[in-house]
Amino acid sequence: SPSSGPAQAPAEPPAGYVGAETCKGCHEDAFRQFETTKMGRLFLKHPRNSKESLACENCHGPGQKHVEAGGGKGVGGMITFAKNDPTPVAQRNAMCLTCHSKGDRIFWRGSPHELRDVACTSCHRVMQDVSPRHQLAKPTQIETCGTCHIQKRAQQMRSSHMPLREGKLTCTSCHNPHGTVSQSLLKEASVNDSCFTCHAEKRGPFLWQHAPQNESCLNCHDPHGSNHERMLKVAKPRLCQQCHNETQHPTNPYGRDAASLKFMLGRQCLNCHVNIHGSNHPSGFAFTR
Amino acid sequence: AAQYTLGGMRLEGEVETGARFFLAEPSKTRAAKFQEYKDVDDGLFLQRFYLRAFTADDAYSTELAGAEWGSENQNFSLTSGRLGVWQFNFEWDQLRHVLFTNTRMLAVEANRGVFVLPTRRPPLAAYNSAPEQDDISVRWDTARMGWQYSFTPDFAVKAEYTRIRKDGDRPFGIVFGSPGNNFLQVLEPIEQTTHDFRLQGTYATERWQLLFSYSGSVFVNDERRVRADNPCFANAGQCSASDVGGPASGQVSLPPSNMAHTFSLSGGANLPMRTRINGNVTYSLRLQNDSFLPQTINDTIRNDPQLRLPQRSLNGNVQIFTALLQAVTRPWTPLTLSAKYRLYDQNELSDRPIFDGVVPNDRTVNPQDHRAARLDYTKHNVDLDARYQLVQPLAVAVGTAWERWDRSKGREANTTDEFFGKAALDATPTDWLQARLTYRPSFRRYDRYNTFARENTIVIEDVAAEATGQSKLLRKFDEADRDRQRVDFDLTFTPTETVTITPTFSYRWDDFVGSRLGLQNETSWSTGIDLNFTPNQWFSFSTGYMYEKNDQHQRQRQRTATLDVVDFDWISHNVDTVQTAHTAARGAIIPSILEWAIGANWSYALGRVDTRNPVNPSSGTAAQNATASAKPWPAFEDQLFRVDVALKYHFAKAWTATLGYAWESFEKKDWRTDTLNPFVPVPSTAGLPGQTSIWLGGDIKSYTAHIIGATLAYRFE
Repeated sequence: SPSSGPAQAPAEPPAGYVGAETCKGCHEDAFRQFETTKMGRLFLKHPRNSKESLACENCHGPGQKHVEAGGGKGVGGMITFAKNDPTPVAQRNAMCLTCHSKGDRIFWRGSPHELRDVACTSCHRVMQDVSPRHQLAKPTQIETCGTCHIQKRAQQMRSSHMPLREGKLTCTSCHNPHGTVSQSLLKEASVNDSCFTCHAEKRGPFLWQHAPQNESCLNCHDPHGSNHERMLKVAKPRLCQQCHNETQHPTNPYGRDAASLKFMLGRQCLNCHVNIHGSNHPSGFAFTR
Repeated sequence: AAQYTLGGMRLEGEVETGARFFLAEPSKTRAAKFQEYKDVDDGLFLQRFYLRAFTADDAYSTELAGAEWGSENQNFSLTSGRLGVWQFNFEWDQLRHVLFTNTRMLAVEANRGVFVLPTRRPPLAAYNSAPEQDDISVRWDTARMGWQYSFTPDFAVKAEYTRIRKDGDRPFGIVFGSPGNNFLQVLEPIEQTTHDFRLQGTYATERWQLLFSYSGSVFVNDERRVRADNPCFANAGQCSASDVGGPASGQVSLPPSNMAHTFSLSGGANLPMRTRINGNVTYSLRLQNDSFLPQTINDTIRNDPQLRLPQRSLNGNVQIFTALLQAVTRPWTPLTLSAKYRLYDQNELSDRPIFDGVVPNDRTVNPQDHRAARLDYTKHNVDLDARYQLVQPLAVAVGTAWERWDRSKGREANTTDEFFGKAALDATPTDWLQARLTYRPSFRRYDRYNTFARENTIVIEDVAAEATGQSKLLRKFDEADRDRQRVDFDLTFTPTETVTITPTFSYRWDDFVGSRLGLQNETSWSTGIDLNFTPNQWFSFSTGYMYEKNDQHQRQRQRTATLDVVDFDWISHNVDTVQTAHTAARGAIIPSILEWAIGANWSYALGRVDTRNPVNPSSGTAAQNATASAKPWPAFEDQLFRVDVALKYHFAKAWTATLGYAWESFEKKDWRTDTLNPFVPVPSTAGLPGQTSIWLGGDIKSYTAHIIGATLAYRFE
């Protein structure tokens, strides 16, 4: 076990396996790149069990037939993990899951990505370090996720945005692409719990609750970016008016006229209703206090 | 590259530092958007630093990394560990979020969060020549510390602590009566700290896995309130009689300190016939017990017996129970079946105090009893899916789903049911083409809709509340009956190993059937394409374009308690169009010696709110008809363009010199903020009060920046 020192690579590979040194004989460039990665260092220098000590063949499968046939792409039943690898994606992913099934990946099976046959190697590059962490297929998470989610990647360029493009947040600040218990692959149990991680001041519970805020921040906000301030989905006061058609505070068709300006300039409705996420003031039921 | 050792440890790393200068810099009053999340100044800067020390056998290593040291957005991290066994990490990250750089304020912040005006209130026009404020910003200082240990490859534990400290200010309004009376915009003091603790233990075998986690979050707000003087108090001649009679000063509460605890147990097991089951139970507790502020600080009414507080605090207590059960099976290779049930049950156990009277406008006592109703809900989700691989290149999936919301009676629709259909097609006819098509219709219906749910649960014994409240014709969009059609289509072409082309299309149509007033329908669609070309390690090129449009159609009615007529209806089309493009290329002039890179991003957003009356308002008086008539709303737009160009020269094996140039341009036209002054004089018109409110005058302005920089990087191993 690791606590008593790393296991050593077996002197002789098991039957059907040829050992990493044999692989290196033909795939030296790939081997050189792999041995600098975290996984490469672990497999090749400090395997913790007999599985890890199989090194290359731990993922690609036993290589004896491949070697005996003289090598070649896909010869001998090797799993190449390349885009055109005929090995079914589920089988390829199963190789990764033999080691990576705990922690954040416990819900991979049944997750939206798994059910759509997304391969682990669609997002991760195992054989070389392209990204600073997590061996991603692209240098950054946004580029990696943005390969498929190009509309979400575009949204971060909107004027009202969280600091993703500035590198202060990443997709996995909120999402776990390997599967979660919540919808939209959120790391927390709900949309609001995700937002409260950084915006705990909006968690309450408040004396006076604003119902749409209590149920989902997404009722008013688009966290991926917007052309409205505060990442609102619609321009105020139209956004507020969609739920408020009242008489005490008439739902006027405000515009660019003198009587409307107080309701239209600056923060619009929030000029007065400053505690719109909830108020703990005894007189705050209209969120003005 | 040079070889270094230190105390038996080998060293590798890189440091890049240099200097940059503005050829053209946004002026201070125009710099808000440019500096929104970045701190760029003339002079020396550290681009990045990375140092890794490791033992000869690579078993132990320590990494120190950082960027922008010395700036407001600096970051550094320290990671140390034994490969595959344990890891400790610490990270410090700063972020300055600049909101405005052009605000003006006459009030003086006498104490934190207390804004004082001269006893003899100045003329309102004087606010426009008020002193300029420093940048209005909030600094986030985030510290993270984590430790993880793998007892065996199958058993690991992890502990994390994150502290987020926010310091700064943001615009905040104090209202002295509402609606129709004046407000004053001042600054909300932000002095908040969030402590986040997480513990996780996970055990995994090839057959089953178990995960336990706990997270605790403590939020502490050092500031409880904002207090400000009323610019219109006893300011006859400047404000209307109603405004003049307002309170001398007002007070508004700030978010209360609170905490949350979450316990979670998850598990998964692989069963025969390639079946997998996953389960999770989570229990969360949210607590808040900050003492209430007094109902008012208005001396003329503060001692009114009706304003006595029934209790000193809320005893806020929300408990959330979440459960998930999921099964996936592949009884034979081409078929995948999955089923999922999820429960999210939020229970409000906070007290429900009844206030004998309230002071919503800080000037008069509202003697009606007000009860702080508690809102909670339960949400059920069921998903059933089947995916069949017809032939190797073609898979079809069909599914259905159900979502139920059971809400407390404080909401209009207590129960809504939404039924979903799903159909998907995944095709890989050749190894250079992949297509994914998804169609997801859904239909949501409520059982009954109580327009006056809020009035019924918040205001007690107020018979007039219903008559003066919401329109019975309104349906709120998050509860209303809705038919949704959604289509997503993605293609991935890889004609060669070096070229990837990804067109995408997405369409969503929401029809709020049965909503006489409120959101009527919404159409949202986008289309775009990405192209990546990397023929060799010396050249790469990528480009992309995305067009997005969101079109909302809402219908409202201008109403009073005595005039509720159909010709006072108005319709608003809210249309946002956003276009985004990006291009990046890099190449080598002399491989391994001289390289170039260029990147460009462009984003343009156009917002239109076109409001009209279906028929001309005519049922009221001339003034009422005028109020009900739709007013023009000019379009608003913004555009961001940035180009980065760099030339890199690698020399002496370990050194790289970079010469870079950046051009960033932002243009914005928005009539709601472009000419906003603290005081915007508008004369009193036909029965309406004049505009007497005071803003800070903050706005994000257009700017252009040209920056040139040079860095020198040294890489060693």
